[in-house]
Amino acid sequence: MSFASLPFVGLVAAGVILYYLVPKRAQWLLLLAVSMAFYLAGGAKRAVWLVLVAGLTWLAGLLLEKQNARPAPDKTAKTAVRRVKKRICAACLVLCFGLLYLMKYWNFTASALPSAIGDKLPRWDFVVPLGLSYFIFQAAGYVIDVYRGKYPAQKNPLKYGLFVSFFPQMVQGPISRYDQLAPQLLSARGLDWRDLKFGIQLCLWGYFKKLVIADRAAVLVNAVITENCPYGGAVVACGILFYCIQLYCDFSGGIDITRGVARMFGIDMAENFRRPIFATSLTDYWRRWHITLGAWMRDYVFYPLSLSRGFGKISRWARAHIRGTGGKIFATSLATFIVYLIIGVWHGANFRYIAFGLWNGVLITASLLLEKTFLRWKAALHIDDKSAAWRVFMTLRTGLLVFVGRYFTRAPRLRSVFTLLKTTVLHPQPSQLLDGTLLSLGLAKTDFLVVALALAVLLTLECFQERGVHIRPALEKKPGFVQWLAVTALLLAVLLLGVFRAGYIPSGFIYTQF
Amino acid sequence: MSSKKWVLVFLATVFVLAALLAGLNAAVDPFGAFGDRLLSWFSYDETNNPRVAKLSYLEQHHDEYDSYILGCSSTSSFPVDAFNEAFDARFYNLIMYGADMRDCEKITRYLIEHYEVKNLILNVYLDNGLEYDEESDRLTKSLHYKEDPDTSALSFYTRYLFADPRYALAKLNALRTDTILPQTFDVFDERTGCYDKRVRDAEPIGSAERYLESYPVFADYPHQTLSLPYTEPCMQSVAAIRAMCEEAGVNLTVVAGPVYAAYLKNYQTEDIAAFYRSLAQVTPFWDFSSSSVSCEMRYFYDGTHFRNNVGEMMCARMTGRTDLWLPDDFGTYVTADTPEEYFTDVLSPAALSPDEISAQVPILMYHHLSEDVTNSEMVSPEQFEAQIRALSEAGYTGVSFDELQAYVLRGAPLPEKPVVITFDDGYESNYTLAYPILQKYGMKATIFAIGVSFGKDHYKDTDYAITPHFGAAEAAEMAASGLISIQSHTYDMHQWPPYESGSAVRENILPLPGESEEAYVQALTEDFTRSRALLEDAAGQPVDVLAYPAGQYSTLAQVTLQSLGVHVTLSTNPGVNTVVRGLPQTLYAMLRFGITEDVTPEALLDMIR
Amino acid sequence: MRKQIMEILTEICPGVDFENEKALIDDGLIDSLDIVAVVTELMEAFDVELGVDDLTPENFNSVEAIEELIESKQS
Repeated sequence: MSFASLPFVGLVAAGVILYYLVPKRAQWLLLLAVSMAFYLAGGAKRAVWLVLVAGLTWLAGLLLEKQNARPAPDKTAKTAVRRVKKRICAACLVLCFGLLYLMKYWNFTASALPSAIGDKLPRWDFVVPLGLSYFIFQAAGYVIDVYRGKYPAQKNPLKYGLFVSFFPQMVQGPISRYDQLAPQLLSARGLDWRDLKFGIQLCLWGYFKKLVIADRAAVLVNAVITENCPYGGAVVACGILFYCIQLYCDFSGGIDITRGVARMFGIDMAENFRRPIFATSLTDYWRRWHITLGAWMRDYVFYPLSLSRGFGKISRWARAHIRGTGGKIFATSLATFIVYLIIGVWHGANFRYIAFGLWNGVLITASLLLEKTFLRWKAALHIDDKSAAWRVFMTLRTGLLVFVGRYFTRAPRLRSVFTLLKTTVLHPQPSQLLDGTLLSLGLAKTDFLVVALALAVLLTLECFQERGVHIRPALEKKPGFVQWLAVTALLLAVLLLGVFRAGYIPSGFIYTQF
Repeated sequence: MSSKKWVLVFLATVFVLAALLAGLNAAVDPFGAFGDRLLSWFSYDETNNPRVAKLSYLEQHHDEYDSYILGCSSTSSFPVDAFNEAFDARFYNLIMYGADMRDCEKITRYLIEHYEVKNLILNVYLDNGLEYDEESDRLTKSLHYKEDPDTSALSFYTRYLFADPRYALAKLNALRTDTILPQTFDVFDERTGCYDKRVRDAEPIGSAERYLESYPVFADYPHQTLSLPYTEPCMQSVAAIRAMCEEAGVNLTVVAGPVYAAYLKNYQTEDIAAFYRSLAQVTPFWDFSSSSVSCEMRYFYDGTHFRNNVGEMMCARMTGRTDLWLPDDFGTYVTADTPEEYFTDVLSPAALSPDEISAQVPILMYHHLSEDVTNSEMVSPEQFEAQIRALSEAGYTGVSFDELQAYVLRGAPLPEKPVVITFDDGYESNYTLAYPILQKYGMKATIFAIGVSFGKDHYKDTDYAITPHFGAAEAAEMAASGLISIQSHTYDMHQWPPYESGSAVRENILPLPGESEEAYVQALTEDFTRSRALLEDAAGQPVDVLAYPAGQYSTLAQVTLQSLGVHVTLSTNPGVNTVVRGLPQTLYAMLRFGITEDVTPEALLDMIR
Repeated sequence: MRKQIMEILTEICPGVDFENEKALIDDGLIDSLDIVAVVTELMEAFDVELGVDDLTPENFNSVEAIEELIESKQS
């Protein structure tokens, strides 16, 4: 069920109304029912995998809980318990990620291997269930947390199931933590009009970004970034720029809708974006973009990896054999590199995504290793890194690096990435920007105007937010009429510029097709 | 403002907006989904979505019909009136562009279950094997929920209640710019269900070169490589339709409409043969798909659609009428027993040669004969006689417009070198000087008389003297001879401004500045009716030819005159006419050579070659 | 011990006032990479085992908190 469809709006409306009408003890059951309805609307067959993963991880949680509760008076008992726990946790994670690997990455690996081996391997033809990568990560986080004894496991399978399948998060996350989301899901609450208001505002804002900006930008992107792109570098760069716009507005808009819908049920879900345009370094960028994925990687990959015994050994070797800071931070740099590689691969089963992971990994790791060097250069050139000019430079530089990174994720194949990059740099043909080529890609002048104005609104709001101004409270101080005007303007923009943007066929045209 | 108030006001705003949108869409109803009760402009709705709008129309009007024609876009040219007569039925043409056979199956089921259906004519076109069960746009290509078991009433109504408001606004805008003749937004004739092709049916057609200028698609025909992947499901639907008709006692006729030869080349011969062969296994049908008609571009008004004229020929062949000209190879009744070779042989038809299908007809235009030649409209009797003699000796035969009509419509023969001699205005000199000469050489001629000056020598009721015009007695005598035909030059639409008192002067048949379409049509109708009554009364011959004053004409004038039964119209543009069998449009706005005094007989013969 | 901890911290994150800041994690004054570096150094310096479960804000928000953590691990 797409967010931008009448059935989804209907489902949410019905869900919210019923939520505040049913007896409080049954509220979480209603959420579960709505979530099931949402998931089944996409096809009952796909729900099987969700149930499988939920069941597996719930069971693992219970088993780990039992181990956690075992009396372990002395060190041998403790080690025994730890060994059992390790086995349970490892088995569960292997099954879950194995399933993910099989469904998403098997065909890719089979075709990537040299044909002598690859051709002999069977290919699967699964229909990948909605949000597979997201809910597997979320469920795995739960298992690891229980393993670490962070909180007791959930005994009720349905209550646990709600955590895994809560419908707003099924499409594109955020990846939530059990101790932050589950208590909210399971607690009862009365109607707080502020929740409804904030939820509606968030949803509208999300739809605005998605329908008015992202869907429009997508038209240009799809027309330009193709296998045999005939356009010059300037137009290609334009295409990737619009892709950055599309991706941010679509993803963050979707997350806004997710959080807005959850808010209407009185539930606060984790933020996933914090104005990434203002990032001053790639590391900073990944703390503002897809925050929950970065946090998940940090807590469940980076920390365990870099604090593990194996990495401890690597660290000692590095200190001994590599001079200076390089030796000290070698292990953590390696762990960082691995994390970004995984992030790249998480995006999809394709060489492009591996390259994307490498792009981020290499740049960030290099910046770590060269940090001291950069400090020396800055001192030598008398650069004050608190000055506005320097910060602007850093932001632009980061923007450029992110921009280039998008070539990797959007080009149709790895080969096209390099072709497109070459075209951008070597054959810009900037005249194409002014000679009407841009108007021949499916967007009219009014569309560009709409995108520009909408982006201006978006950027202005984000500027205020970056300075610490909270938009919502500021709006609440305005007179009622102004508030109504603002939300109605947003609503009209979403309807007239978003919902009714495309699909209109003038009657003269209908007839002449035949 | 409290949060509660905010939420409630917001919801109220949403409801108001939704209600406004739904209200707009329901009231204006650009697709006819709600029955278009307010505006009742089905011709517009059907253009947006014929599947939905036509069913809405039938829900209100089905008791006016008892038979249906069904198929995709080329089905429009199946003539409802001709079939009504042949079957003694009241047909409605359910042509829906882009309809595939699955749509037809669903609709047949609905028709049989809910309406009176005595006869059903099904058009099976090659494109029905190209697409099947396709609904690429939910608003414009979907079926009405009543005829489609796969669509619920709820989803149907919500879809149209909350459709893009631009459709409703476009309809309101079209209301403002609506004209009598169809535009691209209202292409259907509500009463019959066919496309409103009045313009195409009345447009002048001539030589092949001239046709290519108006229809360049035939000069550079687009080539595609197409296949017929859905032949089997298509034929299954046809079989289902046949079974339904048999069970309900409906008289089913299956027809394979004409396909333009160049379009056929887009497909593989085996695919086409397999298509029609499998159709023959399912049901016997009338095969018009490939014949000499398919090779003549003038029978088609675009790359794939044949004209109404061809539809008339189809009906004539199917009902065994002999009053219309039909090429011999046009239309075969195919059954399951038809030998296999037929299906491949028929794909290489021989085109009719220009001589078989058309004739070159020059028309000469005279006005006044006089010894005293003072302007270009006058010719001296001596020169006139010399010209007529030259024509006669060169082997030209004067023909009447009746003979031309007979050639075009009924395939009657024309002499080898036809020529039409015409006189405009109806001057007395035509009777006193031209008539004797025409009699001497046995040349037929047609005189176009103006109504207000019939038998007069003064301008209307003024004192201005004008060249004398002949009157009823002379007309009767000339008509009785069988050589002269008296036809119309309008009653009073060739006015002479200097002699007119008012400011609204009709110098020609075009509307007056600022005149509304309705007022104009009424004025033209009244004028022609008067002209016809006057002349038919006087000469005792039917009046169905009109020469445009000063050669000025418009599409609306053409269409109006055609609806009044005018079969031939003439302009003053020079050229030799190409009249084509089966195309009455070749008799419209015919070209004429204005003959002046200084045209020598040799020059004349040269001109008309 | 406090002095040693302070040395380690200032070496890895120069420019932060570790004396007075009480919300080192919550305010983002030390990031995840620094944490790992600090923890590795702490483990070496005080010969204790620190695991991922110990990487909570409560344990690292101030020098005092770190002190407490190490003491609890040593016992």
